[in-house]
Amino acid sequence: METLIHDVRYGLRMLRKSPAFTAVAIAALALGIASTTAIFSVVDVVLLHPLPYPDSGRIVLISQTVRSTGQDMGDSSPANYLDWAEQNHVFSHIAASRGMQGNLTGGERPERIRYTVASGDFFSLFGVGPQLGRSLLPDDEKPGNDHVTVLSYALWKRLGADPSLVGRNIALNGEPYTAIGVMPASFAPDDYGELWVPSPWDVPAHPLNPQADPRALRDSSYIDVWGRLKPGVTLDQARAEMAAIARRLEKQYPNANDDVGISLVSMQDSLVSDIRPVLWVLLGAVGCVLLIGCANVANLLLARATTRTREISIRTALGASWLRLARQMLTESILLALCGGLLGILLAWWAVPALLTMSPPEISNFKHIGLNPEVLGFSLAISLLSGILFGLAPAFHASQSNLDESLKEGERGSTGGRGRTRSALVVTEVGLSLVLLIGAGLMLKSFVRLMNVDPGFDPNHLLVFSVGLPPSASSAQQDAFYREVVERLQALPGVQSVGAVSRLPLVGGNSSRSFNLPGSTKSYTADLRVSTPGYFRTMGIPLRAGRNLTEQDAQASAQVAVVNEALARNVFPGEDAVGKYIVNFGPLNNKIQIVGIVGNVRHIGLETTPRPEVYLPFGQAHWPSVFVAVRCNTSHPLALTSAVQNVVWSVDKDVPLANLRTMQGVIASSVMRRRFTTLLLAIFSALALLLAAVGLYGVMSYTVSQRTREVGIRMALGARRSDVMKLVVGQGMALVGVGLGLGLLASIALRRVMSGLLFGVSATDPLVFSAFAVLMAIVALLANCLPARRAARVDPMVALRYE
Amino acid sequence: MIQLKNLERSYKTPAGQTWVLRRINLEIREGEFITIMGPSGAGKSSLLNVLALLDDSWQGEYWFREQAVHEMKRKQRSEVAKRNIGMVFQSYHLLDDLTVGENIDLPLSYKDVPRSERQAMVADTLDRFQIVAKKALFPSQLSGGQQQLVGVARAVIHKPALLLADEPTGNLHSSQAKEIMELFHELNQQGTTIVQVTHSEANAAYGSRTIQLRDGWMLSDTSNPELRPYEAVRQ
Ligand SMILES: Nc1ncnc2c1ncn2[C@@H]1O[C@H](COP(=O)(O)OP(=O)(O)OP(=O)(O)O)[C@@H](O)[C@H]1O
Ligand SMILES: [Mg+2]
Repeated sequence: METLIHDVRYGLRMLRKSPAFTAVAIAALALGIASTTAIFSVVDVVLLHPLPYPDSGRIVLISQTVRSTGQDMGDSSPANYLDWAEQNHVFSHIAASRGMQGNLTGGERPERIRYTVASGDFFSLFGVGPQLGRSLLPDDEKPGNDHVTVLSYALWKRLGADPSLVGRNIALNGEPYTAIGVMPASFAPDDYGELWVPSPWDVPAHPLNPQADPRALRDSSYIDVWGRLKPGVTLDQARAEMAAIARRLEKQYPNANDDVGISLVSMQDSLVSDIRPVLWVLLGAVGCVLLIGCANVANLLLARATTRTREISIRTALGASWLRLARQMLTESILLALCGGLLGILLAWWAVPALLTMSPPEISNFKHIGLNPEVLGFSLAISLLSGILFGLAPAFHASQSNLDESLKEGERGSTGGRGRTRSALVVTEVGLSLVLLIGAGLMLKSFVRLMNVDPGFDPNHLLVFSVGLPPSASSAQQDAFYREVVERLQALPGVQSVGAVSRLPLVGGNSSRSFNLPGSTKSYTADLRVSTPGYFRTMGIPLRAGRNLTEQDAQASAQVAVVNEALARNVFPGEDAVGKYIVNFGPLNNKIQIVGIVGNVRHIGLETTPRPEVYLPFGQAHWPSVFVAVRCNTSHPLALTSAVQNVVWSVDKDVPLANLRTMQGVIASSVMRRRFTTLLLAIFSALALLLAAVGLYGVMSYTVSQRTREVGIRMALGARRSDVMKLVVGQGMALVGVGLGLGLLASIALRRVMSGLLFGVSATDPLVFSAFAVLMAIVALLANCLPARRAARVDPMVALRYE
Repeated sequence: MIQLKNLERSYKTPAGQTWVLRRINLEIREGEFITIMGPSGAGKSSLLNVLALLDDSWQGEYWFREQAVHEMKRKQRSEVAKRNIGMVFQSYHLLDDLTVGENIDLPLSYKDVPRSERQAMVADTLDRFQIVAKKALFPSQLSGGQQQLVGVARAVIHKPALLLADEPTGNLHSSQAKEIMELFHELNQQGTTIVQVTHSEANAAYGSRTIQLRDGWMLSDTSNPELRPYEAVRQ
């Protein structure tokens, strides 16, 4: 203990003695540990922590698949769900839910909210009790009992956080619902509902037909199904049984269930499967930054250990065992690491909130990300570990040094140096930095590619929002409401044109339906949109052939549609699609004539190739809510916000607007995850580059200081300053060259990891590879030139002086 | 060959200016073998550094074969030195990481001598100094005398007209020292002008002229009995 205190005190004295060294080492470590801590705090909550439900590993999402392709449909049909519930032996609970949008009225102004219709077992499946009141029970599903609701914590807060709210009525879609309970803040199983209501039929009703009993619906899939595995049942066992059930149902209902399989995905997996590869890549990146930081410190310590060879030799000569010496040096490096660690944690404390504000929802939906004790423990542990890691090198060096030789050498002043460890560290730093730079470069190029993708419409000057009447409104009322809103908006000063559509590109959500051609049983799939005639002009979607939808179509009896180019090309290859008919499309039983072809739109994401689309006119088809797009004359569409709101309320004062944004904003949030990854990789690779440059500079400076005498001799023998520069730079760049080579190889080896995150760029893109190798080389050259210039300024007389 | 006129060298120290060379007037003729002697701190090394054109911070005139070195820039001085001067150091100053052959090759590598020619010259020199067998060894594998032999070989490989040696035998046994001195004598016979610094009278005996330095002043010069520096010292 006493020796420990002594070692610590001596270590602190050594650190104070060389403040520049200490500052550089601590800064390098702090940057590495701050990055690692910040990313780990996200990984910890998102990937490593179970979800906040008891035994959450047993909760699975169940959905229908196309069995032959394995493609997940995302949703299931009510009738299939009821059969699964009845026939399975693997789930202790199984429940269905459906997210809806509705209007909450009675407050100061109407509010568009998202709510979830849930079956009776929903809450007991998740096993979380309410914070106030009670949650839904199977009894609530009886018709007549079903006008009750459970509020989310967030909504309850918004409504005033009044405990007496429980038991009172709130107006949802114009109907009174009794609030029976409030869930805790952590309860958000579907990341969707702000309140939950029961369904009167054990299963949520069809959103387009909310008044009808849905229990017999087998060919329309729209519900989310959740299951909790019985104790002792594994996911694989459950998969096997559900597959058997699926085959049985296929035989029983060959029309609706042809090729329908069932997929089971653990809830955690389904929440994080998109973000997981991103987080692992980022964690790998910060790991590299930390390693580079450690390599820097190891280098500095090694350099110092060499200059301290004499001190060590003397200590050894005085009887210190090498174990004692190694301990002394480790104490010093661990002190250093702890200082770096503490500073790093401080940096992370400041950086994590910043990180979260730019995180995509897949991360920011997790509410508890921060420097919890676990993360702090992790940071301290990696600090200690890195302290030991970079402390071992000099300690080992000390144990190796030959007393006799080093005493002699210290006297004579060696012109050489066995810097093999140092060289290896520099090579590693350069290699790792290049890997990070290339990773960031590939992401950057992907991002640029993506932003250059033509979405198929003109996103500038566009204001969009969603709006809808309560489900009790009839289709005719809905259609009339949309027309009225569009007309009045059209009359607004500053507005160029207005259109409404059931599904807007890039905001999420899609609806597909199958159809046939007349006289054929071959089935095609197309995404269904219902739109007003002004929609295409407003969005800037070009008409390629035929005609646009018109106001007359709404009333006309002949059903018409506009399709996109993808559909025209896929379904009518080499033919003119205009004038052709399609049948059995979605809700419409009559044949539909294609009257026009419009350009493709990137609906699901900028990176997904457009799929076949069919646009039907309102009046002939209906939708419970719409997105309204407003093309403005101004480049600041948001300036029209309140005018637009007033127009909608002038049509119906109880109808709220939701998601009012510019289309540019929509695009920005659709690429949020990619931007997040790109930005972070860019930051980390810049850090890595900086640290590697500092490391290289440090090593070369040290080497130069060790080679003063050699340089002096060479100059006395006729070397010009440029020869000396070349000598030093050449030595440094040889190391850099090896590092670059290894970095390129590693990047090629890692192409699998990256390829899933890229868009429009090969994971071995030669331009990115060479550009960043050159960048790395230039930075390394600069880091080399400063010490080399110092070497070239060596005064041979001074250098040769000590004889 | 060399004429120094009123050459002076001083250092700025915290205590003020310290003079290390004072009013040096010296003529070195082709083919001479000059020995510089004097107590420690007299300025012998300083004078040699000036002659070697390693030092630039002096005042006065320095003529090298009718060229006014004092008017030259650093680059030109380096050129003159590279072409004409070879240097032997007291502590050999061989590069530890280079072999004997590579050490000898070093001065050639800084003069644009073609590689093939260099190899031939290195081979010749190794042969002439009878160290062919040591070519691939590292300096640490040689005795002190052998190391200095390499030092001399390296200093003369490019056939300099002037060979400067600062206590070349300072770290050697007398038998080894004798060997080096004989080598110097031979080189001098072949026409190389030599200036050596030494404490040893025995070494001085190999030379043709001896200069005594004290406190930066030239005290005596065997080829110039008229030199009367004492008055100046006393002043
Ligand atoms: N860089 C310097 N700064 C200040 N004074 C210096 C410096 N270098 C040399 N001197 C001084 O110049 C004087 C002459 O030094 P020099 O090395 O020429 O002596 P020397 O005759 O070679 O002595 P020795 O026989 O010990 O080698 C000494 O007094 C020394 O202190
Ligand atoms: Mg001397």
